[in-house]
Amino acid sequence: MDGTILLEMNRITKRFPGVVALDGVAFHVQQGEIHGLIGENGAGKSTLMKILSGTYPTGTYEGEIKLQGKPLDLRSPHDALNQGIGVVPQEISVIPELTVAENVVVGRWTGGRSQLINMRAIVRRVTEFLAAENIHLNARQMVSKLTAAQKQEVMIARALYTNPSVLILDEPTSSLSLNEIDNLFRILRDLRARGTTCIFITHKLREIYELTDRTTVLRDGQVAAEFDREGYSDRAIIQAMVGRTIDQMYPTRDSDSDSDEVLRVENLTIAHPTIANRNMIENVNFTLRRGEILGISGLVGAGRSEVLNAIYGRLKASGRILVEGKEIKMGSTTEGKRAGIALVTEDRKIDGLLPELGVRQNITVNNLRLISRAFLLNPRKEREVATQSVRNLNIQTPSIEALIINLSGGNQQKVVIGRVLLGAPKILLLDEPTKGVDVGAKNEIYKIMIDLVREGISIIMVSSELPELLAMCDRFVVLAGGRIVDEFGKDEASEHRVMLAATGALQENATAPAMGAMA
Amino acid sequence: MTKATALEPESKAPKARESIFRRIIAIPEVGILIPLIGFVLFFYLINHTMLAPKNIANMLRAVSFVGIIALGQTFLMISGEFDLSVGSTAGLAAIVSSQLMVNEGWSVPMGILAGLAAGAAVGMVNSFVVLKMGVPAFIATLAMLYMARGITYLISKGYSIYPLPEVLNKFGVAQPLGISWSFFVFIVLAVIFDQILRRTVHGRKLYAVGGNKEVAKLAGISPNRIKASGFILVGIMAALAGMMLMSRIVTGQPTIGQGWELNVIAAVVIGGVSLWGGSGSIAGALIGLLIMQVVNTGLIIINVDPYWQTFAVGAIMILAVYVDLLRRKAKTSA
Repeated sequence: MDGTILLEMNRITKRFPGVVALDGVAFHVQQGEIHGLIGENGAGKSTLMKILSGTYPTGTYEGEIKLQGKPLDLRSPHDALNQGIGVVPQEISVIPELTVAENVVVGRWTGGRSQLINMRAIVRRVTEFLAAENIHLNARQMVSKLTAAQKQEVMIARALYTNPSVLILDEPTSSLSLNEIDNLFRILRDLRARGTTCIFITHKLREIYELTDRTTVLRDGQVAAEFDREGYSDRAIIQAMVGRTIDQMYPTRDSDSDSDEVLRVENLTIAHPTIANRNMIENVNFTLRRGEILGISGLVGAGRSEVLNAIYGRLKASGRILVEGKEIKMGSTTEGKRAGIALVTEDRKIDGLLPELGVRQNITVNNLRLISRAFLLNPRKEREVATQSVRNLNIQTPSIEALIINLSGGNQQKVVIGRVLLGAPKILLLDEPTKGVDVGAKNEIYKIMIDLVREGISIIMVSSELPELLAMCDRFVVLAGGRIVDEFGKDEASEHRVMLAATGALQENATAPAMGAMA
Repeated sequence: MTKATALEPESKAPKARESIFRRIIAIPEVGILIPLIGFVLFFYLINHTMLAPKNIANMLRAVSFVGIIALGQTFLMISGEFDLSVGSTAGLAAIVSSQLMVNEGWSVPMGILAGLAAGAAVGMVNSFVVLKMGVPAFIATLAMLYMARGITYLISKGYSIYPLPEVLNKFGVAQPLGISWSFFVFIVLAVIFDQILRRTVHGRKLYAVGGNKEVAKLAGISPNRIKASGFILVGIMAALAGMMLMSRIVTGQPTIGQGWELNVIAAVVIGGVSLWGGSGSIAGALIGLLIMQVVNTGLIIINVDPYWQTFAVGAIMILAVYVDLLRRKAKTSA
């Protein structure tokens, strides 16, 4: 890093019909740095990067882009790639039925002019390339066999293969576990050491601190602030992001859990979905008290989501589940719902939203009985119920008729939470409740949780964000290799203890998912 | 929410001022009402007989058979499946009922019930093959298209069956208000189906299952049960339409319903019912039907080579789905 500007974007303004997505943005990246780009959902991060990566070509926006002092006219993503802009998109985009090597060279199969593809040469080239970049992948491996984190490494390798001047990473950590994130950061630091310039988009402050040299904060399509590493602080960056100060990211608990036991899980065992004679979860026991928030921690693939899904009855499992002392029938969501259990699933897009419908229908779908008499819907009652949820959970939407997909991630999540709360559950299972949710909405979701436990609802929470888990929960269960490896109360909890438990057991158990795939 | 000090609900992000045009085409049915009106005007300006009462009555009569099936198909498609066997089912029901009434001496009500039962049976087989055996609907119902037509020919040995009981003949050829009883049956059913879709729990479940099966399951809705009801319903509707045409042409013909399946799907898709499930409406399907009929009749009226009609159906489908894509973009802009 020598302070010379490598890339500058000046006075960038991008309008969509009726909306100004970017308004006179100036964005400067220095040679050899890792530059953070942070902002809430909808702040304009993606739009800015789509301009830089040619998705919005020259002419569809105002302003100028210069790379090494020379103006850039980008006509397409392909053009941007040729001019030295490499992009690793947020969503995993790989061709699963091809090998790592083929995925890396895709579009650049031949070295020279020949139209013939020499697979052996490609494998050799890619193997050398991966070794040079210090990325531990086997060029011959089928991509379909890789973990999500490894697929992402394939995408990074693919972007690097074009030897770009700038590498853009769009929220690369959103689906990675902690040790996978560490590995990603190692790769990025390596790149920096060898002079590659990176733009790192995120909305996690920790990652900004850990990785970046400078950071630009976007808010409502404008640059809200720019920080050098020395200027980094929670308060300053959050204020720039949300335009107001959040004194307390994690609201204070104002209630204690009872001694009453609401839920007891005994010998929960879940078979592995794809491997015969192996269990995903083995003999897991724990209890949940009224008004308590129990955190389930562990690495991705440790079976955290599976435990929640099994309790709700969505996954076949053996063992016993008792709600307020009464055993419930397992393997049936109807039974789970009837027993007063509610589940907010991990991925809204996959199993959370009815994308074609409005906020109203999305709120009421779990409890149609509540808004109908016999088989007839009562539209007035439905509007009332939906309006009530929108108000209680402070869901930001133009109206209850707005399409759910037009809401921000945080508001979509609140709709899903509102949906399950309509059933007046006693036990709420939250699987990554703040995934893909911006800072402001996260804070509101925490407040909703606090409100719920005060009313006597008990919560089990799964989260990959340790600070959040540690701040919100009363008690912790750490899973590794399908078993509970540690269990402790808030007073004994620390990131160190959680990670030690989660990864310690992993080393003993070499066949555990994440490590097994790395070998 | 008291203790935590921070977030006051902030004023919303600058509200997108949508242009009036965008807002209008974002109403699902409006997007296709415009081409309907356009086509009617186009043909009317070339030849004024387009809007002559007699021609309108002709069009409405013609639309009712495929229309009755389109109602069932709309339900099924909203739930995320579709049925290509409806034309054959119509033929099967016509032959089953006419065979029983003409050659086996069954009474008219029993004969009609048997026809409907045949349709329901086809629907049950379809739902078993698709939902239990896991064969994709495209293949399963395409196979049923052949099997049901085969059975139809086996029963009839390829011959038409007549004479039908007098009451059916009368029903078929009567022209109340210059149109036909079939049309009124169709309209009554359309109203009922529309109400079911918009006002009942079952209607909402269809949208939920088609929109996201996982969400529906989590909500305690059984996707298979909902989809099976759709297959059976569309089977019954196809049977009804087949027997309506049978009484209209006063014979049980084994070719009844041939080619209907694509007309039905074309109409419903033109009407904005998503091929992937989760959205659509009866009003949309009706407009889709009318567009198809107007173009077919219009081309005849302006003396275009009849073969162009077949071409036109295809062209309109592309156009309609393209308009639908534009509409989706309008809905999700900003």
